[in-house]
Amino acid sequence: MNTTEKVMEKTPILSVEGVSKAFPGVQALTSVDFCVMEGEIHGLVGKNGAGKSTLMAILMGILEPNEGTIIVGDQQFHAMSPKEAIEKGIAYVPQHVAMMDSLTVAENILAGELPKTKMGLVDWKRVNSEAMERLGRLGLEMDVTKKVEGLGVAEQTMLAIAKALFGNAKLIILDEPTASLSRKDINRLFSFVKSLKDKGGSFIYISHHLEEVFEICDRVTVLRDGHIVGTAEVAQIDVPKLIVMMVGEDVEDYTRESTCQDEVVMELNGLERRGFYEDISLKLRKGEIVGLTGLQGCGVEQLGKGLFGLEPRGIGEIVIDNEEFTADKPIDSFNQGLAYLPQDRYRYGLVGLRSVRENVTYPILNKLIRLVNLINRREEKVIVDKFISELDIKTPSQEQPARLLSGGNQQKVVFAKLASTKPSVLVLHEPTQGVDVRAKMDIFRIIDDMAAQGVAVIIISTEIRELIGVCDRIMVMNDGRMTDEFKKGEKDMTPEKILAAIEGGKNNE
Amino acid sequence: MNKGQNRDWVKTFLDNFIWFILAILFTYFAVNIPNFTSKTNLINVLLHASVLGVLTIGQTIVLLTGNFDLSAEGMVSLSTIFAMWLMITPGTVTGTAQGSGLMMDPYLVIPIILVLGTVVGYLIGIMITRLNMNGFIVTLAAQLVLRGVAMIISNGQIMTGSPKAFNWLGGAKVYGFPVSVIVTLLLYVGVNYLLNQSKFGRELRAVGANPDAARASGFNPKRTITMAYTIGGFLAAFAGWMLLGRLETTVSSLGEGMTLETVAASVIGGVSLKGGIGSVGGAFAGVLLLSMIDNALNLMSVDSFWVESVRGFIILVALLIEAQKFRYKPKVVHEKEPAVASDCK
Repeated sequence: MNTTEKVMEKTPILSVEGVSKAFPGVQALTSVDFCVMEGEIHGLVGKNGAGKSTLMAILMGILEPNEGTIIVGDQQFHAMSPKEAIEKGIAYVPQHVAMMDSLTVAENILAGELPKTKMGLVDWKRVNSEAMERLGRLGLEMDVTKKVEGLGVAEQTMLAIAKALFGNAKLIILDEPTASLSRKDINRLFSFVKSLKDKGGSFIYISHHLEEVFEICDRVTVLRDGHIVGTAEVAQIDVPKLIVMMVGEDVEDYTRESTCQDEVVMELNGLERRGFYEDISLKLRKGEIVGLTGLQGCGVEQLGKGLFGLEPRGIGEIVIDNEEFTADKPIDSFNQGLAYLPQDRYRYGLVGLRSVRENVTYPILNKLIRLVNLINRREEKVIVDKFISELDIKTPSQEQPARLLSGGNQQKVVFAKLASTKPSVLVLHEPTQGVDVRAKMDIFRIIDDMAAQGVAVIIISTEIRELIGVCDRIMVMNDGRMTDEFKKGEKDMTPEKILAAIEGGKNNE
Repeated sequence: MNKGQNRDWVKTFLDNFIWFILAILFTYFAVNIPNFTSKTNLINVLLHASVLGVLTIGQTIVLLTGNFDLSAEGMVSLSTIFAMWLMITPGTVTGTAQGSGLMMDPYLVIPIILVLGTVVGYLIGIMITRLNMNGFIVTLAAQLVLRGVAMIISNGQIMTGSPKAFNWLGGAKVYGFPVSVIVTLLLYVGVNYLLNQSKFGRELRAVGANPDAARASGFNPKRTITMAYTIGGFLAAFAGWMLLGRLETTVSSLGEGMTLETVAASVIGGVSLKGGIGSVGGAFAGVLLLSMIDNALNLMSVDSFWVESVRGFIILVALLIEAQKFRYKPKVVHEKEPAVASDCK
């Protein structure tokens, strides 16, 4: 890995030094150094939750870092305001471009400075010719009288880039611009971006698709768990090496003995929800841990939510403990033996304002009622105490509001809540997201313990290494279908092979 | 350990801040206003606190779910007018409104208006949760509709002379102590206990604090919110019964302005407008505080024009404190957290 930056004659257009940012419970960025040169396309890669979005929000002036400095041109900032960021020429082009959709391309380009006739009316001829002329300067040809909503996604993105440049942008952040593009459109977008680079434009290119990074970027920086792993020239690195940087080698891997028994606990038969997943069939055994993984949008997220009843599930049959599983809302799912850990802990996992005690017992209150609607507080306290000590939840008391715990301890509270329902099947969505390394090990131990007690576990995750460590099987999903299966003990179960299977679907298109 | 106990003390103080203020203010008024501590006056304060108090219970329950109920004062108006309409004679005295001539038995009328309040509350809840209508505007519109109907029934006239059998809740006394005050106190003790010990109380606060997580934890937020409005509607009609019993007279403008007072009392008592935090017991302190200040301003014969401004100002201060408390609290408690970053290295 080449982490030493070989800067040629070029000057940095933006550099970030020692930037840290913490949210309650999560350290999102830890002393990040990052630098973009003039006339460079700089790739930024990292898994979900690695800190990319936080870093970009800081560059756009939306978030204020706790520490560190940002240097743009010759000016130094502790934190920029969004206005300063724009003045300094930093522009952000999101995956879904936001423009005035019902107006024409020309109107969007010249918004706020429409040329007028002597009568004070808009001079449409000049509007269109001037818009065309401006686009032409960038080598972009487009029907300027067309409404923006009628453009393809690639055109909209290119238009957004062009608009940013007309607004004197010097550094453009492209966030997953190719996520919904065909190969042909990707090529067009890339040649446009490259041509702008040749004219001296600078870009930060964020993507999950590593091949694309090699196709278009000059250098690439890898973020992992809020740390910069390194920056490398793409010419001196390859995909496997980049994957290792993203996934990490140095972390201690969790390994376990399989607790898989013979008895089948859960059976999925031909699950289908149009537009998200189809033909999902799976058998889960007691004590088995199965990993589900795939690219964003492959349907695995919806499958998890659908199983639990947070989203519609579509058609198909599910059997848990030899009984048909019919639950269509969370409370029924709990009652029928399925518990789910949501990816978004703050939105779905915890009622942050309320205490640890209350959070743990929410789903089992019916069992704790001693009279009409009154809760047996003594019994509740005993149960919560048991979980606090079993899962080693670090909290000053049961009454601590859950939002004030650290990320790992919050996640343990969610685990305690799920465990309190004594589930047969546990569906976990990114269970280690936003928790520190030590808490991760604790969480694996909790999962391991539950499996040992006979619970069947499904882990939906993009953390390949972690899945390899804990899972008996890993299923890969592509475009809503399960396409590959990797079994523990077979030599195919390597990060490289699994990642290839995950990315495989995309390349076949 | 010692340090932790110290902070718990700070927290207890912050949580019960309002009771300290109440005590200080009471002492101040007692020393400075003659007659303030006379038995008649204190009972007056409590009488005012009883109707406001019943309405505030309903408001607090709705606020805990993160919603508002601006309709209750409309129900106070309608329930009293409707009850009168059912009970009194077709009027012959000029200047008074006509009764229906049904001359219904008060013991039949009481359940009728209570059911009316309950049903209206339920319907409001359905509109908000099932039809996805905006709660703020729905309840505001409902207030107008309810008061409007009251106006139609009463012809905008005063209705007077409710029968004795109807008035016992609002007007009767036991050993010189008003029944309404006793009932209100019992309601507070009871509801406060229930909301702190019952599953429903948990549900209210969970839904108010984070509806998505509440659902994922097995609750049904729509049902909970509907239930809160239903209870609110019932209590509004109950407050109407109480108020009419005390006044023996009603007019469609009865209860005007009480909505804001109920919100203010709840907030002063530590109920969060964002939902999920607070208790009925705390809100009662807010009710007492507002009633006491009202009474004191009266005794000091402050110009009634000023009274309105002072009330408004108190509400603003309460909101300010709430907004600040929410910002301040995490900082106090945050120190308890073990340093995560340092011990993983």
